[in-house]
This record gives sequence, structure tokens and C-alpha cells, in this order.
Amino acid sequence: MGRSNSLWPMTFGLACCAIEMMAAGASRFDLSRFGAEVFRPSPRQCDVMIVAGTISKKMLPAVKTLYDQMPEPKWVIAMGNCAISGGPFKFDGQYGIVEGADTFLPVDIYIPGCPPRPEALIEGILQLEEKIVGYRRPRWPRVESGLSQP
Amino acid sequence: MNKATITTQLRGLAATGMVAEPETAPAPVVEEVEEGSKAKAAPPAPRENGLLEVDPARKGVHLDVQLNADQVVAAAQVLDAEGMQLEAITGVDWINDNELELVYDYSYTGGEFFRVVVRARIPRDEPNIDTLCNVYPSANWHERETYDFFGINFEGHPQLENLLLPEDSDFHPLLKDFKGC
Amino acid sequence: MSSQALSQNQEVFELNLGPQHPATHGVLRVKLVMDGEYVVDAEPVLGYIHRMHELMGENRTWAQYLPNMGRLDYLSALSYNLGYVELVEKMMGIEVPERAEYIRVLTTELNRISSHLLWFGAFVLDLGGFTPLLYAFDDREQILDLLESVTGSRLTYCYYRFGGLYNDVDDDFLTGCTQFLKRLRSRMPMYHDLVTGNVILRQRLVDVGPISAEMCRRYGATGPVLRGSGVNYDVRKNEPYSIYPELDFDVPVYNECDSMARYMVRMDEIDQSMRIIEQCIAKMPQGDIMAPKVPKMIKPEPGDYYHAVEAARGTFGIRSVSDGKNQAYRMKLRAPTFCNLSLFQEASKGMLLADALAFMGSLDLVIPEIDR
Repeated sequence: MGRSNSLWPMTFGLACCAIEMMAAGASRFDLSRFGAEVFRPSPRQCDVMIVAGTISKKMLPAVKTLYDQMPEPKWVIAMGNCAISGGPFKFDGQYGIVEGADTFLPVDIYIPGCPPRPEALIEGILQLEEKIVGYRRPRWPRVESGLSQP
Repeated sequence: MNKATITTQLRGLAATGMVAEPETAPAPVVEEVEEGSKAKAAPPAPRENGLLEVDPARKGVHLDVQLNADQVVAAAQVLDAEGMQLEAITGVDWINDNELELVYDYSYTGGEFFRVVVRARIPRDEPNIDTLCNVYPSANWHERETYDFFGINFEGHPQLENLLLPEDSDFHPLLKDFKGC
Repeated sequence: MSSQALSQNQEVFELNLGPQHPATHGVLRVKLVMDGEYVVDAEPVLGYIHRMHELMGENRTWAQYLPNMGRLDYLSALSYNLGYVELVEKMMGIEVPERAEYIRVLTTELNRISSHLLWFGAFVLDLGGFTPLLYAFDDREQILDLLESVTGSRLTYCYYRFGGLYNDVDDDFLTGCTQFLKRLRSRMPMYHDLVTGNVILRQRLVDVGPISAEMCRRYGATGPVLRGSGVNYDVRKNEPYSIYPELDFDVPVYNECDSMARYMVRMDEIDQSMRIIEQCIAKMPQGDIMAPKVPKMIKPEPGDYYHAVEAARGTFGIRSVSDGKNQAYRMKLRAPTFCNLSLFQEASKGMLLADALAFMGSLDLVIPEIDR
């Protein structure tokens, strides 16, 4: 699909991860190399929602509304531990946060980290691209981690 | 800002609070705690009204004043007249004493290092206290936050609604008997 | 036309700004009542990123609570780390080795510069200028590289320990700091040429959002907001902690009370932080980085304690009540931007909406810190 060449994320920062999202878009990491630098403030112009930060219960309805306002086809990236599972703010007796974006959104890509590095976000976007078109584009070679899998 | 004026006036205020209760001793009890004293190391018990001059290097404040709940506004007026600013309001739930403690932190931004903490205790089942909003506008948000966390009812507050919790929430998470939701 | 008739003809409408809006730097919501382009009332609504830090303080041990400090105000995380470890050291009577103190101050000031640089970029972005953000991030990444090499993380640091540090710094780090200072010194005139003297910026900021010193006092505002209103108050100077009394630096104060004054305070603070870092490098003593005897289990004496430090946005205070156990009985975090924002409702009355947003940007908000 052509749009995978240039995914438009939403300018939607919730907490700490949003700063790394900004860093990914700014000078050093330069997300525009991968065509995904067009951050749109309006959900109606976006392809991908990067949930960057903790979702509080008070914020939940707003996140839902934003997702519903995005036009199809649309994708969701859960960036950071808070968006994956609640992260460090999940504990017995907690009253304030939603334990993971996937409790109410169809999440496509999970990027772990607290917060994830900008490189991780870039890799997440490339993986989303891979998921959309079905294969890894040869111009974005996969960087193998030095760690051996058990 | 005059430290001596504040000390005298707050001490007077604490003393009148003692007189208001006829069964206690008539003389104002003023405890002077020495630097680094560990005399009060026992489990925290409700202390009597009074003014303590404490060591800022250890406790972080210069004056520690405990008052009756109906005197916090008068204390705020004293401190406001001397140019202090209200830094924070918070609560502490002393569930074993069945009391809630209100803690008001004041600081001075005019040059000298001077911090005052004013405390008052109110019964846990009737958590009512007068608002400070008419003295310090900053009290508005601090009191709403304390209402969120402890359910303390600030009488005369212009807009006592949830600030940090969702608008429709009916729990007070920092009470010690809060079990999650 | 009588004033009565005028008010009847006025069309007042409500406008909802946020919680998802690029100009609010996060999830702040402002309920606006507008008369055309003019703000009649602006009520901030908080709590969209309330993360229960104070409750977590009560059900974690003192050491387990350390990582929370990095996530409170993630832009100047080390100031918050510093406030918390100093509070616990005060409670426990732990003496910190001198080298550790110097490294703490050095890293905190680096972090302050990176926080101000990010604010600078984002603030000018709010006003419609995109390019300065890229320059600011370029410099900020240099700081993050330096801090990452000693703390291990880029943003949410957890570097200080009760009684010292997690990790010592090496000569490479100190050389890197010197090189970075040289670089930033050469870049600051460029920032001033590019942005500070820009006529559009000045028209957006000069005389916009006046806050009097008295208003700051009544609302408890601190930090650059207070110093932009002509009050010379800096916790580092007025209530000295750590080794700040041994260092020579000035507190920038501007009397104009407008958004431009707050802008200038922060820009000058970058210069002052550079001076502090230079002195720290020059004076850096050798020695241990951990106090010799730090109890494994932190159990402070019962009682309550207060400690305040100067974070990048103002006075960060912690009031902590201990009942002698290994967890706090109550942990109150006094966030500077909470108070700084509380004056927004009163101060923004009658402003143009665009000016109100410029004014809000000049307060330097970090929403997770306001909501805690």
C-alpha cells in the first residue's frame, strides 16, 4: 500500500514518551528519512496514532474519541511501557490509569522502554510498514541485535 | 516580613486556642525543641496546640505551629500581612487517632530563608474546615486537590469540585482505608 | 448604547482547548469563554495525566520510590532526584562525600540546560517558528549523550542514591562537558540573533501576559515566572543546599513582568548554569562517591520533614511524613508548575487567545508534573 511509504502520525503526546517522540522527529534522529515526519495535530488527517505515555482513566474517553475520529485505514502504535501495560504505574490498588492501550484499542505495534529510545520508535514505524505491505522493504535493512536468543 | 512579629502572633493564636478549652491547663504550653532533639521519637501522637521553633537544617522549616481548625484562617491572615506565600496545602490521614491533619506550608520569597508550617487536626467523620480562598487565591487549587485525595470539605470554597480525579469519581484515594477501585 | 445593551449584543461562546491540543504541551484542558478573539474566562482542567505518585509514595519503600522522581517532571528529572535523595539524607542524617555533591550539581545543571533548551524550542514552535526547535534539539542531544554515558538513560534519570551516586564519572565525561560548554557558548549568540532579537517574537511577547510580583506571591508562583516579575528568589541562593553556596553564579532577574522577561530569565539561566558547570569541573575533588555507612533498610525516625530545591520550573518541595517504617506514611509533592498555572485563569482575562497561548507557553508547563 502506497501510504505505508509515508505514514502520518498524530501529534498526540501524553507523557514522557512524547518527548522522545519529539526527539525522533527533530534534528538528530530525523524521522523524515523514513517518511513519517508529517505530524498532524488533527486526527482527521492521520494514519497512525502513537500512544506515547500513560493513559489515565480521565483521559480514556478523549483517546477513544480521537481514535474514532481518524479515517480508515488506521493503525495504533503503543509506545512505552505505560501504553503497553500501565508500566511503572500499575500496582495493586491503583485507581487512576488504564492498564494498557490494548484494553480498548487495536494495537498493531508495541515498543517497550521507559521511555523507548527514538531509534526504537523508528524501528516500530518500520515494523508497522512491514506489517502493512507484508514484507520488509530492502532499502530498510533490519538491524539485528547483538543479543543471541536463548 | 518580620520573624518576631509572626512568631509572637502565631504563638498568641496557639495560646488562645488552649484557653478556649476550659478543661486543659490555662497556661499556654510552648514547647521549645532543641536542635536535633529526639524527644518526640515515639509513635506520632497528636500533639497539643503550640508553636515549636525547630531546626530548619533537620526539619526544613523554622516554625511549626499547631492550631485549632477554626484558627487556620486567622493564621493565614497573619502570614499574608507579613508577605509570606502559601506554598502548599495537604492532608495526612491519622486513621488510628480517627483524625485528619491539615498541613499548610508557607515560605518567604523576599530574601530571607524562613518557612512556617501550620497544622490543624479535624475529626475524620466530620471533615470540615474553613477555606483559605479569601486570603490566598492559590488555596483554591490546593484545597480542591486535598478534597480529591481526602474528602475534606472546605467550607466557603467557591468551587469545591474534583480537580485531579475524574469529575464523577466518589472515592478519596489517600485515605488509609481506601482499597482501590 | 448602554453597557447593558452592549453586553446583550455580545456574543460569548465557550471553547474547549484540549486535552489533545498541540499548544498545551500535553494533556491540559482549558475551558474558555470567548468574546470573539478575546478571552473572557479560561479555566484550566487538570487530571488527564494524574499518575498517583503520592499514593505510590505510601506503598513503596523509600528506595523503590526513586524511579518515580524521574517520571514526575521528565524534563528536569535530576532536580527532582536531588530533592528526594536530599530529603531522605536529611531524615537519616547521612553525610554525602564532596565528590558526589559536585557531580550531583554538575549533572543537575546540565539537565537544567537541556530542560530550558527544550522549552526554548517548544515555546518558539508555539509562536509559529519551527527552525529553532531543530537547533535546540541538536544541542540538547549533546547533553543527553553526556548524561546517558553516566546515568544510563536519556530522559527519566535515576542516578542519585541515598548517600551518593550510582556511578562515578570519568575524565571522558568531564572533557565532554568542557567541549559541550565551548560549543554551546558559541551557539548562544546565534540563538539570540535568530530568536531573541526577532521583531515578530518581540511583538508576540513584549507586554504580553503581565504578572505582578504581588500576584506571584498570592498564587505561590516560583522559578523563572517569579524572577521575571522582579523578585530575586532562587532556592539555590536563598535556602542553600548541596554545594551551591561554594559556587559563584548570579540569579537573573527581570522587572518587566511580561512573557519576554520570563523568556530572558531562562536564556540567562542557561549562561549561569554553564558557569556553575565550569566551576564544578575545575573544583572537582577526588574521592569516594558513596557515603561509607548507608543503612540497607531506610527507616527514618517518625516525624515530618520538608525539603525544597530549585527545579528548572521553580521550587520543588517534598513534605514527607514517616512513621518509622520502611515506607513513607505520607509523601506530598509540591510541584512548581501547579502553582504557576493556577494564576493563568486570573492573568489571562481579556487577552487575545493567541496571546493567552503565548503566555501559557512562557509559564513552561509540564503536565504530568502538575497532575502528579
